[in-house]
Amino acid sequence: MKKKSLLWLFALMLILSAFLAACGGSDDASNESGSEGEGSEGAAEGEPQKGGTLVYGLDAPPEGLFSSAFYGIATDFEVIELFDEALISYNENLEPEPNVASWETEDNKVFNFTFEEGVKWHNGEELTVNDWVFALETIADPDYDGPRYANVQTIEGAEAYRSGDADSISGIEVVSDYEINITFDEARVNNLTNLWAYPLPESVLGDVPVAEMSASEWVRSTPIGIGPFKVDKIVPGESVEFSKFDEYWNGDVNLDKIVLRVIDNSSVVGALQNNDIDMISLQPVSGPEVEPLENVEIVTYPGLTYYYVGFKLGKFDNESQTITEELPKYQSKELRQAMMYALNRQEWVDAFFFGYADVVNKPVPSSHWNSAEDSELIQYEYDPEKSKQMLDEAGYVDTNDDGFREDPNGDEFVVKFSHYATGNPTFESRAQAIAQYFEAVGLRSEVEMVEVNLYYDMVEKDDASIETFFGGWGTGTDPDPSGLWKADQLWNYPRYNNPEADQLLDDALDIEIVGTDQEKRKELYVEWQKIVNEDLPMLYIAELEEIKALNTRVGGVEYDVSGQNSPAEWFVTE
Amino acid sequence: MLKYSIRRLLGMIPMLILISIVVFSLAKLMPGDSLSGEIDPLNTSPEYIAEMREKLGYNDPLPVQYFNWITGFVQGDFGKSTRFQIPVFDLIMEKVPNTLLLGVTALVITYIMAFIMGMYSGRRPYTLGDNAIAGFNYVMLAIPSFVAAVFAIYIFAFQLNWFPFAGSVDILVEEGSFEYYMSRMHHVLLPAIVLGAMSTASYTQFLRNDIIENSRKDFVRTARAKGTPMKKIYNVHILRNSIIPLVTFLGFDFAALIGGAIITETIFTYPGIGQLFLESVTSRDYPTLMALTMLLSFLTLFGNLLADILYGVVDPRIRLD
Repeated sequence: MKKKSLLWLFALMLILSAFLAACGGSDDASNESGSEGEGSEGAAEGEPQKGGTLVYGLDAPPEGLFSSAFYGIATDFEVIELFDEALISYNENLEPEPNVASWETEDNKVFNFTFEEGVKWHNGEELTVNDWVFALETIADPDYDGPRYANVQTIEGAEAYRSGDADSISGIEVVSDYEINITFDEARVNNLTNLWAYPLPESVLGDVPVAEMSASEWVRSTPIGIGPFKVDKIVPGESVEFSKFDEYWNGDVNLDKIVLRVIDNSSVVGALQNNDIDMISLQPVSGPEVEPLENVEIVTYPGLTYYYVGFKLGKFDNESQTITEELPKYQSKELRQAMMYALNRQEWVDAFFFGYADVVNKPVPSSHWNSAEDSELIQYEYDPEKSKQMLDEAGYVDTNDDGFREDPNGDEFVVKFSHYATGNPTFESRAQAIAQYFEAVGLRSEVEMVEVNLYYDMVEKDDASIETFFGGWGTGTDPDPSGLWKADQLWNYPRYNNPEADQLLDDALDIEIVGTDQEKRKELYVEWQKIVNEDLPMLYIAELEEIKALNTRVGGVEYDVSGQNSPAEWFVTE
Repeated sequence: MLKYSIRRLLGMIPMLILISIVVFSLAKLMPGDSLSGEIDPLNTSPEYIAEMREKLGYNDPLPVQYFNWITGFVQGDFGKSTRFQIPVFDLIMEKVPNTLLLGVTALVITYIMAFIMGMYSGRRPYTLGDNAIAGFNYVMLAIPSFVAAVFAIYIFAFQLNWFPFAGSVDILVEEGSFEYYMSRMHHVLLPAIVLGAMSTASYTQFLRNDIIENSRKDFVRTARAKGTPMKKIYNVHILRNSIIPLVTFLGFDFAALIGGAIITETIFTYPGIGQLFLESVTSRDYPTLMALTMLLSFLTLFGNLLADILYGVVDPRIRLD
């Protein structure tokens, strides 16, 4: 009996070791490191080739709202970008450029748009300005259930249309099929960048009531656009098949087909290695695993997301939209600056973002045209000695010899640091790492992990248990930070209240002061950045890079801060 | 039997009402809603969020919200998914075929494997083969399915290239053609094997123990004394009696068939009920979440009833009335 059980134990071990051997197999096949491009060309060299199929990977399932006016998440937009185009595009400095539509304006209040002629929808109908009017009226409709109304609100008469007082938006004047005048309610410098610039196909959606549009087949299963590829088939939550649109208005299309596949994060590296997918966005954590692959090239380009550690400086009342109360704990600017010097941000970024992020000292992404130069700002290099010295000078000294500093009144001082928790196991360690930097200069720190949805709820409502908090913002093509920074904004989470800074932001948007002079605007924004760089209502940590993995057979793909180039230019070799 | 079934069905009503209250309160107790979480300042504004909360009725008192939900639910209106913006019913119906295919295939694999292994073990208890089977079963039971899924993808999809690593069908084949159905089977096989082969333990061991027990009973001795071949005794006389306890499992499997495999479906990007369920939790899609939980609770209750009735059908000794 005993012998037998030993035998089967042995057999079991054999089976298990076979499993393990199979898993350790092939990782060491290639040691050469893939080259890193800096926001530039795709992998394959040489002349664009015609034909072929490209497999585009997505690491999260789309929701299926494949219409520019209705989508809610970035994943859906990635799909839309393959078959639709905006009327206006953005260059690498995030300045608007004509695409289908070109424009003229004299006063930034009335804009005259001219459309290209002969642009076709995928169903063969021609694109006219009426499709754009249709899009704007749909978004301004009271039954509209998407989040885009803010991009239409500034058109004269949009409010009246929405409340039902008018049958049409008075600021929209159709001149001909290819020409349209749009009047805004007032002259602003960012009227154009804020305006909703995607048309909606009236020929197919015209008969659908607005309330039912987002659920209609023209959004769900047979969407059409004006882009270089048309949607052939959608398998919900799983894959989309696109084929070349022969009547594309803007030049030749190289590829015959694009197949979009949704794959789980755990399979991304394997699928890239096996040539199962040609291009995909990578999470920073997958970067080190993909870099050694010979058949894949990693391309990075500057992103528009930054991370920070915020201080709760006050309380906000959403009814009156004012900051009603000032919280004393972190009011000392010297304390905040000392905490900034205590952070070794470079080390932290390398450890948790694998080098795919850059340390920043300001809340404006470096690629925006209004971003301040490093030389104009305090750089806050890691300097624990300076930090300790500043804390000593500000009165934060250890009076009871417990190894940690007390506040200037001699009371215990504990930095309470909150971070959101999701399934991601690195969040807790990265929060602990920040707390350790504070402890290293003698500030006692506590980390609290809060479930992500509750966390943002607490941050927004100024919950008393949130004192310092980790956060991130993605900014858009409009470089104006007012919505996240002015004292009357709900999303100014630190409750930073500096009338001087707010005035600069207002001036930068005031057409009376800056006119249409971008340089003058930039000066004001740089002035503002100098203030928030010194005041530090939040400790700026890093801005992220976008990471794409491209198979070496893919060419013609270019990225800049505004995103990818037109899929019409992509090609595959072989 | 009919009287019994009706009595049981009526008994389910208060149970379901209680479940609905629990499901609703748990969903509402979850912090945040579909509009909270990481905000993208480009796409939205505080005004829009406040307006949508009002429109979706999140500001109504809880009893009112519950009443609105349950009256719609009883009439078959499960509400509209806050994430996908389409009726939850359509959403579920879209995913059910995939999940059923996966569930049935996995169940068939489980049954076949468990039958072969259980009959072998029952006939030759305490031998090397029996112990190896028990060992295999318990190891499989102990390995979490998400670990097994990742390993299976790595070995069978990436290394050996036998199976596709994700999805339910190859989009390039024409719908309705022979290749289409072959492609679906090809896609469903790997997740089904992971699911099916992992859960053979209970069936196998149940069958084994029952066969051992029955083989010591008087009727077996009688049959052997009559000179009936051993093969026939095992495959006919004993097996028939040993299947009865397995029938109870069938009822429980009923709910699992629709419920899908939450983790396995997600890892294989297999769009079914399980994946939908997980997504609805992470994105606070209450209408979907509540509808699915109610559906699964109902199916579990119904499966129990089915098991009890089936018991009476296969074993006339058990009287239900």
